[in-house]
Amino acid sequence: MSTPDLTPRPEQSPKRQRRRIMPMVVLALVVVAGGVVITQALSTAVDYYCNVDEVGKRSGCDTGRRLRIQGTVAEGTVVVATGATLFDIRFNGASMRVEYAGEPGGIFKECLPVVVHGVFDESSGMFLGDRVEVKHSEDYVAVNDDRLEEAEADSAACDSSA
Amino acid sequence: MTLDSPSTVSTTSRRGTATAATRVLGALTIVMIGWLGVFGLLLSPADRDQGDAVRIMYVHVPSVWLAYLAFIVTALASAVHLFGKSHSLQADRVAGASAEIGVVFMAVTLVTGMLWGRITWGVYWQWDARLTTTALLFISYIGYLAVRGLEGSRSQRARRSAIVGLLAVLEVPLVHWSVKLWRSLHQEATVLGTDLDVSLDGLMLFSLFVGVVAFTLLFLWLLLHRSRVLMMIDLSAETGLDAALAQRRAEGGVTP
Repeated sequence: MSTPDLTPRPEQSPKRQRRRIMPMVVLALVVVAGGVVITQALSTAVDYYCNVDEVGKRSGCDTGRRLRIQGTVAEGTVVVATGATLFDIRFNGASMRVEYAGEPGGIFKECLPVVVHGVFDESSGMFLGDRVEVKHSEDYVAVNDDRLEEAEADSAACDSSA
Repeated sequence: MTLDSPSTVSTTSRRGTATAATRVLGALTIVMIGWLGVFGLLLSPADRDQGDAVRIMYVHVPSVWLAYLAFIVTALASAVHLFGKSHSLQADRVAGASAEIGVVFMAVTLVTGMLWGRITWGVYWQWDARLTTTALLFISYIGYLAVRGLEGSRSQRARRSAIVGLLAVLEVPLVHWSVKLWRSLHQEATVLGTDLDVSLDGLMLFSLFVGVVAFTLLFLWLLLHRSRVLMMIDLSAETGLDAALAQRRAEGGVTP
């Protein structure tokens, strides 16, 4: 019987090293991604989020700074001009005229709440928006003949406290 | 390192990871997903404001439900591993499998949410409270899966990831209540709100219920199979070492 060769074999390291390095790389990417997400969220939060009735009254909602303003698009106020859309937004009895340079996307229409990003123009008394987001509520109503009348009645009420 | 139930592993390894129970569960899942397709695409009505875009809800909401459930199961299994007397590795495998499924369905939630947002809000993404905390939750669990793969013994890795699993789950209530805590573009809860008032058309609500049941069954099916696969991987690592030693002895002419 020959003497068994029990000396250690050369370590087959490449595969093993790849397996252990990958989690470290992923963890590093996770830390970087987390940092980017938090930084982006904080830098956007610089645009203070106000309701229409809080502009010029609530701390942080000063007219001299960039704001995000929430309100419901008032019925009969939407005017589409060349390259711009004008409309009123209302909240808690307060109203503000908005000029948005473009055509709002999403499901933008009268009586739906929106969030407009921009700055208040003291000379014209209008809020100059550069971004409009439609804020859908948590209510879902089916479109069908039985309830169409009810839905239209709800829509006509154009609740501006959303 | 020891496995909790090698007999189970040897049984499943011969037949794959399926059992009679998982086959029934799989069939039920397929049936429910079929029903979800019928209700979500055909029977449920369009929304007054959103039109047919509302149908994205039947995947978006069940996906996030499944992801929350998966992360909670990960936390519970992590607690069993960490605080149980036997420090069960089976519990660790369940935790890992559940987190993997949760990450996949959190990705589905983010993608469907972005598509839905583009149609209704007019933008794919906004750095608001709900979206930002959801992105952080997703990233955290990718980190959890990376921690599971770090260097160390099997029990070290299990203990380390159990601690991360218990910490990461604390983000779930933060994500859910973010729309209450901060002003958000994202709507507040329609079904699981604080006022328990469900503002959803009857057939829409039922379709959503079908979706939640279908995705819950899918989660259970995936969890059972993935846990068994992880058990086989552990068994392979353990028996692989024995096999390598035996082979080496045989090469050297040594009889055990």
